[in-house]
Amino acid sequence: MKGLILKKDNLVPLLRKIRKGGKLVAPVQNRHGDTLFEVIDDLDRQQLDLEHQAQSSLKPFFFPQNDPLATYNCAEDYSFEPVVSAEPTVYFGLRSCDLTAVLYMDVIFSQNGADTLYFARRKEAILISLGCNQPFAHCFCNNTGSGPFLEYGFDLQFTDLGDSFYVEADRARGEELLERWSYFFTPADEDDRKKQYQAVLEARSNFRRTVHVDPAVKRLAADPDLQPVWRELSDRCQDCGGCAYICPTCTCFTIVDQPLAETHGIRLRQWDSCTFSGFTRMAGGHNPVNHAEQAIRRRFLHKLKIDVEKHGRPSCVGCGRCVDICFGGVDMIRFIAMVNDLKLPAEEK
Amino acid sequence: MISYLPYPVRIDDITVETEDGNLKTFKLVLENEAERQAWNHVPGQFAMLSLAGQGEIPIGIASSPTEEGHLLFTVNRAGKVTTALHQMKVGDRMGVRGPLGNGFPVADKLKGRNIVIIAGGFAFTTLRATLLYMLANRDNYGKITVIYGARTPGMLLYRDELAQWAARDDVDLHVTIDREAEGWDGLVGFVPTIAGEVGPSPENAAALICGPPIMIKFTMPPLEKIGWTDDQVYLSLENRMKCGVGLCGHCNVGPFFVCKDGPVLTRAEASRLPVEF
Repeated sequence: MKGLILKKDNLVPLLRKIRKGGKLVAPVQNRHGDTLFEVIDDLDRQQLDLEHQAQSSLKPFFFPQNDPLATYNCAEDYSFEPVVSAEPTVYFGLRSCDLTAVLYMDVIFSQNGADTLYFARRKEAILISLGCNQPFAHCFCNNTGSGPFLEYGFDLQFTDLGDSFYVEADRARGEELLERWSYFFTPADEDDRKKQYQAVLEARSNFRRTVHVDPAVKRLAADPDLQPVWRELSDRCQDCGGCAYICPTCTCFTIVDQPLAETHGIRLRQWDSCTFSGFTRMAGGHNPVNHAEQAIRRRFLHKLKIDVEKHGRPSCVGCGRCVDICFGGVDMIRFIAMVNDLKLPAEEK
Repeated sequence: MISYLPYPVRIDDITVETEDGNLKTFKLVLENEAERQAWNHVPGQFAMLSLAGQGEIPIGIASSPTEEGHLLFTVNRAGKVTTALHQMKVGDRMGVRGPLGNGFPVADKLKGRNIVIIAGGFAFTTLRATLLYMLANRDNYGKITVIYGARTPGMLLYRDELAQWAARDDVDLHVTIDREAEGWDGLVGFVPTIAGEVGPSPENAAALICGPPIMIKFTMPPLEKIGWTDDQVYLSLENRMKCGVGLCGHCNVGPFFVCKDGPVLTRAEASRLPVEF
């Protein structure tokens, strides 16, 4: 993989060119000071923000919160028509954790026959990630194997070298983009490569916290009695679903019909959260997962146990967003600490 | 590719099954010839009944694949969609998405074996499909024993067919009700008790049991006493479902998706699932 150099002065001109050829999505700071991924309409008006962690992930672009599955009509012909909309889109400035989360969603949505809506969008996407020289306050992607830089999986990966970006491609679509806009780039020399390597090394030592993910995963695999953990976390959970909504790898959904008139409407899939009390409740009121404790259990074991069994790795990417959003502290970092602090029977002597 | 689009169907007939009016059987005909031809299911599978504007519900398919030209679904009125469905009339149209999940292994592990069908209440639906399939392929199975119970005579499903099966000499049918009732001269007693009295041999046999959890729980000890093991007992699980294809996350018990890995599984497999209930 040969590296290229993009002068920072050339970034906005490059993005302008990309935008002319299709949709561009990048992190933008809005007038409230929030940094969110947005569709870029006007690079002069929208403030590109590569300094802060985006509060949202790319999940809504591939798996929107309200995603029409079909329109229905029950007047003349009783029919359900598919709704698929996707256009070529370049996603710029996502971080390694968010890219890893997209790769995880690829696995989930390709199970049991590929999901039409998800892959319609995914196939039109070019992902350009920006490695993190300076991890953010709650980041622990170094402990989940999803950052701060990636070895593969990106179309292009950018590394900030101060006044320029070091650019590398991993997928054909990334290569094509580099070829198309080759006049913005110059070949990287040995010095650039050293600087890039140095940035990656330094980033790894810049984490403000260590989260012991692997020991917790090992403990969970041994089925310890976690009742005290579930009790404490469920006492603090307000059942708002914020953790699932903000999580870049939470993909549970419900399906609802939204009538637009008596004879027609839209069938949507909508984000759902396993911590909601109605998530497993059946018609008639029976609920096999009846207590908040069990719902919390469902959530954390899915991420750190079941996904390890099924897909070989936990589905937490260490982005820390659940830490930011939960005022009850029912987040991944706290859960992992609690699991690792548990006294296991074998250790009590 | 997964698209979640239901097939349009027409309600061809509606039968009120039970005296309380809460259970109705809907006979549905797929409207498009190509879809009618392509439809193929295994007894024990389910489908999403799809009411535009109301939503979808997972319901076991009560008809056997050997009954051609239509599908049957026996539906208990319990929630929003089932209530809307119960208000529909013959000739009305709706949607069906499926078939979904794994059915009973009728063409595989159950072939050549003695079959014991045990059902309670309105959980008889997919077992009716199974029984009809087996009767249509009678030579593939050994002795067929059916034990079916309901609270009262008026709560029994498929009463005309029960009478037909009772008249056959190749089905050993035991129909029971919970308490004595006027005009009932058949068996009286809970399903577990009757199962113990019938005492079907576990030799080269499989039991297919559907009913309320409490019935299944109490049916097992009398069977175990005469030598039945968990790997020859088939159950069918129910959980809240939305997608039916192992994605939406509602129905899973640990790594097991009821919609895609089930709903049918052996009791041995069920006992290995993480405790969630």
